Amino acid sequence: MSTLRRSVTTAAATATSAGLAFAAIDYLGVVSVLAYAPGATAALAILIGGLMVVLVAGIFAELNGLYPTAAGIRLYLGRAVGNRTAMTVTFTYMTTVVLVIAADAFLIGAAIRHVLHEPAALAYLWIAVLLGLAVAANLRGIRMAGWVQTFVTYTVLTGTAAVSVVAIFHHGRAFHQPFDIFGKGAFSGVQAVAFALFLYAAFEWVTTTAEEARTPRVITRALFIAPLLIWLVSTLFALALSHLVPFDVLHHSAYPQLLMGKAALGTIGELWMLALTVLTALNTFNGGFMVASRFIYAAARENTLPRQFAKLNLNAVPWLAVSVLAGVSAVVAALVFATGQWLLLVAVGAAIESAIYAVGAVCLLVLRRRDTRERPFRLIAARPLATFGAILFTIMFLATGLSDPKDPSHLSVVPLGVIAVLGAVSVGYVLLYVPRLQAAAAARAATGRPKRRPPRNADPAAERPASGATGQAPPPPTPGAATGS
Amino acid sequence: MADWDELAEALADYTVSCNENERLRKMQRDWTRVLHFVCSDTGVRFTMEVDRGEILATPEGHVGTPDIVVTTHSETFCDMFWGDLNPVQKYLRGEITVKGSQEDVMRLDAISAVIWPDV
Repeated sequence: MSTLRRSVTTAAATATSAGLAFAAIDYLGVVSVLAYAPGATAALAILIGGLMVVLVAGIFAELNGLYPTAAGIRLYLGRAVGNRTAMTVTFTYMTTVVLVIAADAFLIGAAIRHVLHEPAALAYLWIAVLLGLAVAANLRGIRMAGWVQTFVTYTVLTGTAAVSVVAIFHHGRAFHQPFDIFGKGAFSGVQAVAFALFLYAAFEWVTTTAEEARTPRVITRALFIAPLLIWLVSTLFALALSHLVPFDVLHHSAYPQLLMGKAALGTIGELWMLALTVLTALNTFNGGFMVASRFIYAAARENTLPRQFAKLNLNAVPWLAVSVLAGVSAVVAALVFATGQWLLLVAVGAAIESAIYAVGAVCLLVLRRRDTRERPFRLIAARPLATFGAILFTIMFLATGLSDPKDPSHLSVVPLGVIAVLGAVSVGYVLLYVPRLQAAAAARAATGRPKRRPPRNADPAAERPASGATGQAPPPPTPGAATGS
Repeated sequence: MADWDELAEALADYTVSCNENERLRKMQRDWTRVLHFVCSDTGVRFTMEVDRGEILATPEGHVGTPDIVVTTHSETFCDMFWGDLNPVQKYLRGEITVKGSQEDVMRLDAISAVIWPDV
């Protein structure tokens, strides 16, 4: 097969993977880990989470090798558990994209307001400005070049790590009980690991760039290298936070990274972390809007979303999809700010990602039986490992789904409740509304224009159908001519 | 299975449909690409050269370095270029595979979506 003129390398794919995972919400994710594994034990929880992610990487590497396409997740699910279930799960999965976009808009708006010492209400304005800029850029077809995205990701990771290292060696509190992960209770230890998993969440979305990769192994390598980078940076950040900033201050802050930066390096540190936070928006808004809007466009084209979402503007951008995405994100961001429930977003996002990992494990188990084709990567001991993964990530799903973002010592059904509502809406939509859309499409096809393609073996002298957008019906075949494909 | 003559006829019609559609030309004004197509059943290969949204040529065989490579059955290609098929549905089922950026995949589908919005 021909080599593409432009293709994604391992370094770029790794940056994509890490960049998708390490959004501004990850700084809050570390705070959630610290809630259940205080002090240096957070580093242990993040390590254990990272080891679990290696299993996820193996699962998705094999699935991606089988179906190296941007529609991969939808395809694996469809082949493994059927199309309706695939659609339901995929729609719910896409809500995490909206949550991350909304979270980033809120977190960055809140961080800017804080540094500029503006009234709290101005965060709404910053949310609107940030999302407005992202929408405007998207609608004009302005896309971040691959090298810019790579540069931004490595800058954010390196910058966070650098300030964290300075903070760790700064005079501060000593590290206590670094291995006492169950110090707050057995289930707290499990919850700490479950939230640690969230720090890596979305790294698997790099599989949507499978079609641009130089070889399938590029994606496989990225799936294993990116978690390593995230583990390193998250660990350093967690240690830095626990070293310099008291937890009761962290727990009520939407911008722990600014507090850490200020404690480590004063105003310069605070501004440095603000700059990195704003940089994460480039990746989140660019990548998130692109992934979600293209998903919406494809769903509209295949009649599982209203056709209007497939409308393109003169920059070939699905403008309604992008606009609705931004609108919903703005509403969610404003709600989060009004209610102060940013940690609930983390809990919901963490639970959904754990559920997706469990589903991925099930897909691999099923597809190993059904599809025996060669693939560039095969997970060793796939059956026991995938079975273990399905059980493990279901436990992680429950651990985060039942967490109380306000009080780590309690359990709460609120995150699970939010997911149940999202899931119910998806199920209802797929079972009740999608059939209507597909019926309408079938009716349009039945009453619409006949096929334009001339029947095979038709009289070459017969008039060919008119070309162009009119789609006029071709003339009937000459009597006696063979028909059919 | 469709042979090269059938594909060439479909491509000729597709080229005219594309080049005569003002809205499409405006939308793709910044899109200059080389597309390679591979018929997975017959092995027939062909190229589409696009310059600022205008299809310049669709020669048999692979010419130049591609920006996108599309692989599917020859019948699917024929139906697609005649506008009788929604390529997205086939793509989401894995029956059409593509190598190339997401942006370019969308631009390619946009041609069908704009010329034949009823499909």
